[in-house]
Amino acid sequence: MPDKPYLIVDSHLDLGFSAIQINRDLTQSAANTRVEDPEPTMRSFGSCTVTFPELHKGHVGIVFGTVMSRIDPNDHWTKTGMYCQAQCHGVGRGHYAYYESLERQGIIRFIRNTQDLDETVAAWENPAADTPIGLILAMESADPILDPDQVPEWYDLGLRMVSISHYGVSSYCHGTGTEGGLLERGKPLLNALKEAGIVVDLTHTTDQAFWEILDVYDGPVAASHHNCRALTPGQRQLTDDMINAIVERGGVIGSAFDAWMLDPDWKRETPPFAQRTKATLETVANHIDHVCQLAGNAHHAGIGTDLDGGFGQEQAPKDLNTIADLQNMAGILENRGYSETDVKNILSGNWIRLMKEVWG
Amino acid sequence: MPDKPVLIIDGHLDMAFNALFYRRDLTQAVHLLREREDPIRGGISQHKDSLERRQGPQAKNYTVTVTLPEMRKGHVGIMLSTIMARVQVPSGTSHNSVRTQGTAYARGQSHLHYYKALEREGQITFIKNAKDLDACVKSWENPKEDTPVGLILTAESADPILGPDQVQQWWDAGLRAVSLTHFGANSYGHGTGTVGGLYPPAYPLMDALKDAGMILDLTHAADLTFWEILDYWDGPVHASHCNCRALVPGQRHLTDDQIKALVERDAVIGMVFAEQMLSPTWNWDDPSTYYTTATRPMKAVVEHIDHICQLTGNCDHVAFGTDLDGGFGLELSPTDYNTAADLQRFPSILEAHGYSADDIDKICHGNLIRLFKNAWKNG
Repeated sequence: MPDKPYLIVDSHLDLGFSAIQINRDLTQSAANTRVEDPEPTMRSFGSCTVTFPELHKGHVGIVFGTVMSRIDPNDHWTKTGMYCQAQCHGVGRGHYAYYESLERQGIIRFIRNTQDLDETVAAWENPAADTPIGLILAMESADPILDPDQVPEWYDLGLRMVSISHYGVSSYCHGTGTEGGLLERGKPLLNALKEAGIVVDLTHTTDQAFWEILDVYDGPVAASHHNCRALTPGQRQLTDDMINAIVERGGVIGSAFDAWMLDPDWKRETPPFAQRTKATLETVANHIDHVCQLAGNAHHAGIGTDLDGGFGQEQAPKDLNTIADLQNMAGILENRGYSETDVKNILSGNWIRLMKEVWG
Repeated sequence: MPDKPVLIIDGHLDMAFNALFYRRDLTQAVHLLREREDPIRGGISQHKDSLERRQGPQAKNYTVTVTLPEMRKGHVGIMLSTIMARVQVPSGTSHNSVRTQGTAYARGQSHLHYYKALEREGQITFIKNAKDLDACVKSWENPKEDTPVGLILTAESADPILGPDQVQQWWDAGLRAVSLTHFGANSYGHGTGTVGGLYPPAYPLMDALKDAGMILDLTHAADLTFWEILDYWDGPVHASHCNCRALVPGQRHLTDDQIKALVERDAVIGMVFAEQMLSPTWNWDDPSTYYTTATRPMKAVVEHIDHICQLTGNCDHVAFGTDLDGGFGLELSPTDYNTAADLQRFPSILEAHGYSADDIDKICHGNLIRLFKNAWKNG
């Protein structure tokens, strides 16, 4: 085991949502945030695990931070699903503006191209306490993009990866929990994303939409926070065929740290506080391992935790207290016989490679 | 009664806040939104642990009244509408305030971009200068069913402005009037419900606001803040939504001295259509006097208009600043008011109280047009 921490890339964090909709000051420790969160907030969104000091502690030096707002009138739980795209656009631009304000304070820096990425990776070889965390702007549900003709505007802001659906039916595509494929506006959007050079994130597509997207879109793909259906049943996970298809396209699959996606016994209808998952970081390693075994190498698995993305510590692997504990994944993978190079690729290298391939 | 509808400019609405915080699609009819939000029909989550259910008041006492179709019906053709976010420790039941200025900036931007999305749909049109204002006023002389509502962008609390260097960016985006404070003590000074004045960062911010050509809104200033601003600031001022402390108790309202000081600067004062601002038994400084059902009709607003017109000797300094749906709903709106369409009944209420057609025009739109044209006379 190397004597210094590994750089970790987390390919899916809803930081803007946590700061704006959950209303947290992410410059504080997670422990402090747990004290500050009012009771109703904690009951709805769980105990905080992701803040900037915790990311620093865990050496999570690069994140894909989302713009996240979807049309979903049936969102009776968090009440953040919207009724029209104009609302989603407003919320989404708010998330971007939050990241902008963090960059102004030196807490993050946007990564928009290979040079930004190289500089950030170099800075994290020997980070100082105030080394900014690199942020690649991603989007979960394309509803904030008002029309395909608005894609270049979003690209200019820094948007580099987009999942066109989320829960429910977006303006462009069927998503998790529904049956159906691409909608009429889906294909023009995919064309615009291809034209701009934006990675299409296949997470939160329906099975039908997954294959339809791969049929009509020949640009770069990934699955930012997605586990294996062979280990955890359910539409939310990828079948082996889907994993093979993503690998064939050179994509990367980020393992999600959500008990619902790790633990077949997790009961979605029971409040997270009223149950205890069996899932641990070892369970996450099982999913990583499954992807590596299917691919025949360690070039396509990554970390895409989704921590604090609508759930908290109660619904995370039970041996994870905050995102700082991600660093424990290194030892777990090493114990399973993964080489130092493999571990490095899984924790950061694969996402870095994919983005560099896309950006040239 | 005037034989055709009078153009109404509402000097204070929190439209984007309603759209994003209460998730209201403001392009829809009020009755449709009420149906959605009716707890019996399932608009509010029945899950006992859901956030909205536990937030309580918004499910019960925040019945929507203002959407764009209702405004068009009421000939409310122009609005000053806000970006609204303030730094203040969130209370247990609401996160309508935020913890950091960065978050306030983000919320402010989300409001701005909601308006831009509405403009893209042709629902509204930004008014950024005198030419835009003239064009919008003209379009409301003979409006069609889909004539866009004019928007003059304002900020309630300056917290979304991260520093003096960011004022120009906000000006370019369309921001034209700013109140430094809101509820609580915010980044730049003390606001409603607190005792105190400005914080030091307020001064360089005011310099930048002045340079940009912004109007300063004295609404929600604590008393000391109010006088400290007027001591320092020599640019244009208004009070977008304030009533008279001589008639209703509490620091939230303007004293006669404050009204005179504003009028001396040719300011315009917008009248609030809310029980909390119209009832002498409701004391802003004493929450034990608060209640949940309105008792006062729209004509109670005329008492405040009369008071200001008597103080000033003319009708040149009063306007609408209804604040409808701005943190309250139908329950605390005037008893004879149902939706924004009903605002068009106000001109005849004024007429019944002896106001001339000229005066009615001034109150409904003329005074605010004068305020902005004076502020924008250099372009």
